[in-house]
Amino acid sequence: MTFLIRTIDHTATGREIVRDRSIESDRLSIGRATTNDVVVADLAVEQHHVSVSTGDRGQLSIEAIGSRDFTLDGHRQTSVTLDPARGGALTLGLYTLTFGREPDGKTLVTVTQEEREFGNRDAIRGFDLASAMPSKRAAAWIGVLVILGAFLVVPIWSSLAREDKQAGADGIDQVAWDSSWSTGKLSLAHHSLENNCEACHVEPFVSVRDETCLSCHDDIGNHADRPRLATSRGPMSTGEALLWQVAETFGKEGPEACTTCHTEHEGAGRMEPAAEQFCSSCHEDMDARLTDTALGNAHDFGTAHPELQALVHTALGDDRRSRVMLDGKAREQNGLRFPHAMHLSATNGVARMADTLPAYGEALVCSDCHLPTDDRNGFLPVEMESSCESCHSLVYDKVGSTFRSLRHGDVAQMRADLMAMDRAPRRPVTQGLRRPGEFKRGGRYFQDFGRPARNYTAVAQALSDQGVCGECHIPSGDGGVMPVFQHSDYFLNARFDHEAHEQEDCTTCHAADQSDSATDLLMPTLASCRECHGGAEAVQAEVPSTCAMCHSYHPPNFGRGGDGPQSPAPDRVAHVLRPRGGAE
Amino acid sequence: MATLSPRDRDAGYAEIEQRRSASHESFLAHRAYFWARVAGFASLFVIITYLLVDVEPRHNGGSWYGYTLGTIGAGLIVWLAWLGIRKRRPTPGSWSLKAWTSAHVYLGLSLVIVGTLHTGFQLGWNVHTLAWVLMMLVIISGAYGITVYASLPQRLSENRREMTREQMIESLATIDKQLEAAAQPLTREDADMVIAALEQDVFASGIRARFAGAGRSDATRRALEHISTGRAYDDDPDDLAQRKVRALLGKRAAQIDQIRRQMQTKALLEIWLYIHVPLTIALLAALTAHIVSVFYYW
Repeated sequence: MTFLIRTIDHTATGREIVRDRSIESDRLSIGRATTNDVVVADLAVEQHHVSVSTGDRGQLSIEAIGSRDFTLDGHRQTSVTLDPARGGALTLGLYTLTFGREPDGKTLVTVTQEEREFGNRDAIRGFDLASAMPSKRAAAWIGVLVILGAFLVVPIWSSLAREDKQAGADGIDQVAWDSSWSTGKLSLAHHSLENNCEACHVEPFVSVRDETCLSCHDDIGNHADRPRLATSRGPMSTGEALLWQVAETFGKEGPEACTTCHTEHEGAGRMEPAAEQFCSSCHEDMDARLTDTALGNAHDFGTAHPELQALVHTALGDDRRSRVMLDGKAREQNGLRFPHAMHLSATNGVARMADTLPAYGEALVCSDCHLPTDDRNGFLPVEMESSCESCHSLVYDKVGSTFRSLRHGDVAQMRADLMAMDRAPRRPVTQGLRRPGEFKRGGRYFQDFGRPARNYTAVAQALSDQGVCGECHIPSGDGGVMPVFQHSDYFLNARFDHEAHEQEDCTTCHAADQSDSATDLLMPTLASCRECHGGAEAVQAEVPSTCAMCHSYHPPNFGRGGDGPQSPAPDRVAHVLRPRGGAE
Repeated sequence: MATLSPRDRDAGYAEIEQRRSASHESFLAHRAYFWARVAGFASLFVIITYLLVDVEPRHNGGSWYGYTLGTIGAGLIVWLAWLGIRKRRPTPGSWSLKAWTSAHVYLGLSLVIVGTLHTGFQLGWNVHTLAWVLMMLVIISGAYGITVYASLPQRLSENRREMTREQMIESLATIDKQLEAAAQPLTREDADMVIAALEQDVFASGIRARFAGAGRSDATRRALEHISTGRAYDDDPDDLAQRKVRALLGKRAAQIDQIRRQMQTKALLEIWLYIHVPLTIALLAALTAHIVSVFYYW
């Protein structure tokens, strides 16, 4: 049997080199070892891998020598019989051995070899990081799409597409994913609007408008009309004017807009009050520009602030209040007689009397009559019944063991009570002894059918300067007393918080222990305030104080609606402005 | 002759330009650090004005000063990103690519001051801070790029030892051919180890492997270890072939190490661009979102 071995190699340029050789043998050994008939120089092949032997009728029997199999026509085999006339391809590693039969009966074995690829050797690009990294372009595109989608497209689309575009819309009508647009937390006052951007940012590309602010803040007072604001501010500097020109080009409302002073998204916390500079920029020398103003110039509480003025009743019985300067000599006419000093004395009759009364037990102090309001900011009006009457009794009669008192605050009722006092029969003063004339005036069975002249005298007496009413009231001369006014607020343009001053004694500011007359206006002067309070920049002061500590730019009724004529209620002498517990 | 005629002056500039390119002046030192000085003074000016300008209640991007810095910053970012397009058209002259790159580096660094002071240090979880963070990452990656460009090329050329990259690949291919031939007499087990070594593609390594560099265990080293273990002095008839294979595997390992060091250095040199470039594009998107959202909710 003859095997014709045809080896086909390729040169570097691709040209084929064909070598033929014949082997006279019945057995053909194939493997990596050089002792084989056909040497297959592939490390994947065994030293002695396959043997091919001829069998009956020219059939070839192909057997694996070792444990390793081989591939024939694509099938892995360890032993197979092949008819060379029909052909077959034995694959060993990179080598392919094709069997066939020559016309002369020889068995032809064609050996071809695939080129081995050791990776991409020719590409020096492999040195570059680019061959191992994802593309920069892809990364950039992903980044752009994610950022524009999440932070621009979704909020804008949902803002334009929502049906109900009203402020404060909820649920699906709210702009989606716009919290990423917030530049910072809102102040605590606006915390509820944190996730409701469109409540303030109503129209796209339109700055927050005053009308939007005022839709909630509808009760704030207007500081002044815009022209007056502009006049008192005076001409802007060139730089400031330029800045506003730019701002207005971009659609900002102007220097008087809410948002000029009230900036938001500055972080959770209180909305900061305006700095002193904000007020003083107008008020420092405002009278030069706003010539008709009644306000004094001010720019620093410690050094430049007008004397304090209190709103008081200056004429006895007049229900109108006017402002008086608190220079230590100010007087008010509240309609009462009340010497503070006498009542606060620790040694006199008043003190002795208070000592004996279980309700006091010691000399009087301020808080016996002046009770704080619930918020402890101010004081309730002093009420006769609870504060005065335990000493200043209105008892006028005794029936059995019960005392009859005059009704306070109602002159007509008081008259009627006094006039009716002696109509009722009563027990004689003495018993047992009988004297004649029981039916005469003053006798046991006397009935007076005339006018109660004596009782008129009692009424007149009560209403006289020395009478029971006159102890505290000033008789009006027309059968009544002067109206009494009590106020808890004395300042027109400022507020005062008593609670913040709780650590101080009352007399530190109110010289009540030295006041012999109710007309003394016991309000402190500017100088006494300055003992503790200085300007905002006064580091030496115990309490550096900005304007906003006492003044508000937008007090709720800045139009001074609460400052008009106030008549006492018709059935009360005293006009009580702040009734206790809300009910008169 | 106190003054130069225009022609003399032109000639003078040309000469200066020539000298510059001849002396391989770095883009960092371009025109005696002209752009470094410009950016330094600009940053100083911005810091001083930031401290002097009184913004109520406190500095933020929404004050007039904040808007001014924001506008400058946005302009700078767009101009800096423009380098990506500009670098593809190298031109000489005072607007040469070198001058442009020099300005890119120093003005880019000054953007740290401009951008950060624009925020007024009010940062949060929002698109505005996203833009700032991206800007800072781009600048930091750029600064890293400058640093490695200044230090690593030295290492790259030391590692090459006068070899080009093509020569390294060629050398490895030659070793592989010799190895394949020399390994023919080896036993099955040994041959399999050599096959594994030959099939190992040094370039088919992952990102982390590229940064790990040379000396790692791989198929070549495993084959070397296997064939060396306990055999060096054995009285093996095949020892000649084994010795040859051992020597070739050693050479292969050394060649792979050199290629790996080269790849590692290149990876360190090039990685910043994979942050700098995509993040710049992302920054442009975030900047757009930042500006549009501010005016949308004006």
